[in-house]
Amino acid sequence: MKGRQTLRSLWAIMYYLGFTPMIRNPLFVAFVFSQPFTLLFILLVVSNGAALPYGLAGALTMVVTELGLFVGTDLASYKIQNRLQDMVVASPVSPLVYMFGVALSELAFGAPALVILFGLIAEQGATAAALGSAFGVVMLLWVTTTSIGFFFSAYAPNTQNAFVINGFITTFLSVLPPVYYSVDALPVYLRPLAEAIPTTEAASLFQGAMGLGHTIAPVWGFAVLVAATLVMLLLVSFRMKWRES
Amino acid sequence: MLALQARALSKTYRKAKRPALDGVDLDVASGQIFTMLGRNGAGKTTFLRIASTQLLPSSGSITVLGLDAVKQAKELREKIAMTPQEAETVYPLTPRDHVLLSLRMRGMEKAEAEKRAQRALDDLELSDVADTNSDWLSGGLKQRVIVAMALRTDAELIYLDEPSIGLDPLSRRKVWDQLTLLKKTGKTIILTTHYMDEAEALSDNLVIIDKGKVVASGTPRSVKAAVTSRATRVDVFDKFTQNELEAYGHVVSIAGRHRVLTDADGARKLGDTAVERGASIAIAPVTLDDVFVDIVGESEKEEEHEG
Repeated sequence: MKGRQTLRSLWAIMYYLGFTPMIRNPLFVAFVFSQPFTLLFILLVVSNGAALPYGLAGALTMVVTELGLFVGTDLASYKIQNRLQDMVVASPVSPLVYMFGVALSELAFGAPALVILFGLIAEQGATAAALGSAFGVVMLLWVTTTSIGFFFSAYAPNTQNAFVINGFITTFLSVLPPVYYSVDALPVYLRPLAEAIPTTEAASLFQGAMGLGHTIAPVWGFAVLVAATLVMLLLVSFRMKWRES
Repeated sequence: MLALQARALSKTYRKAKRPALDGVDLDVASGQIFTMLGRNGAGKTTFLRIASTQLLPSSGSITVLGLDAVKQAKELREKIAMTPQEAETVYPLTPRDHVLLSLRMRGMEKAEAEKRAQRALDDLELSDVADTNSDWLSGGLKQRVIVAMALRTDAELIYLDEPSIGLDPLSRRKVWDQLTLLKKTGKTIILTTHYMDEAEALSDNLVIIDKGKVVASGTPRSVKAAVTSRATRVDVFDKFTQNELEAYGHVVSIAGRHRVLTDADGARKLGDTAVERGASIAIAPVTLDDVFVDIVGESEKEEEHEG
């Protein structure tokens, strides 16, 4: 497959598996909103509005985490239920184009939530540079969580399990750790554990971008995100096989 | 020219007690419809998955369209398309979306893909539901959508794993027509099926696989001739025991009914005796169905004896 054909292929996967379902069934979009914005609302009410920046950082982290992990659920579905992956393997489409296409299609579902969250963060007085930095973190976290999604999709024996695993990891990565709150709120002995979780680093970087101060050094945050991505991609390359043996 | 050549092809899955494929030798000529017959778990899908570069064999070799399916998988994938067994449509895509996804994913330009998609939808009588959510379609229509996804690709060789499963008789014939038309354009089609009439009507050549081994191969006619010289079957419904019937030919007993595969003379004699006894019988030419039951049934019996 040549350059232009590859782009057409990528666009087709993104369009038919992302944009088209998003337009036909807005519930998909609403689902992306549901959990992150519910937690944001609770935090807003409980804190009388004072914790809004933490809530926004948390919601942004959770939305991106969901989008990445959904890739795993979708891949499992396309492989086990729809057998779409069988058709794709026996075609000129490369594994990289297919996976990137599915990952981008997932991003389409989250685009409205991301636009609203960035709008709210800008409304909080974030500078253009801070917004640019937050966008960079979004991209990095998306790659990290997508690689986690890839990894777990390779272990899902059926689509039901894929959904259960997804729900569990979403909670583990974006509700329990200091994503909707500052890492300083945790007991000291739990902080090293929390700081090893990529979503903690992402939320801390978002909090910094909104002027809440950096509880974790930004360099360390980026380093953890990059390291987590590399580790997950390495694990994926061992586990995921385009052709079964 | 050969479209596919397999030699001593074997596959044993991890933790499996016996090989799924056991030393399969197979030649498929270009531009033909080639059918693989066999019971569930006989090894048909395993063969198709190896030939379509989805699965690695344990040993042996397989060349497809002149390319090594193991070592030259990337080049081969440019030339093949596949309809998997029991595939499901993707919610909430329409039949048109499915066909367009399949064509455009392969890098086809939009205008060309739209033209071909419309043709595929027309050919399989899906035009009336082309823009309906596939989830609302019947099982048979969904199956036709899955077949349509491979039909108008530019692949030289198309694999169809049980393409007509769940289709009503008219829809099945519609798919057969399209496969025959595709063959006329020079494409090679390799399909698996459980329907003997389908294999008989469509195939230039066929193979019967049982427990991972090829047990018969050739044209439908030659397979029938090679397996049984008995060209007539007599279904006997009452008043005969299996032992009595064995004097007239080869007896296959299923669910209390006896089917005797015999020649014209044997059929006449059995008919005369049946008239004398007032027994109910039905006489018809042997079909591929009978041959299949004969071969696979014998293999089952042998296994029971060995056991």
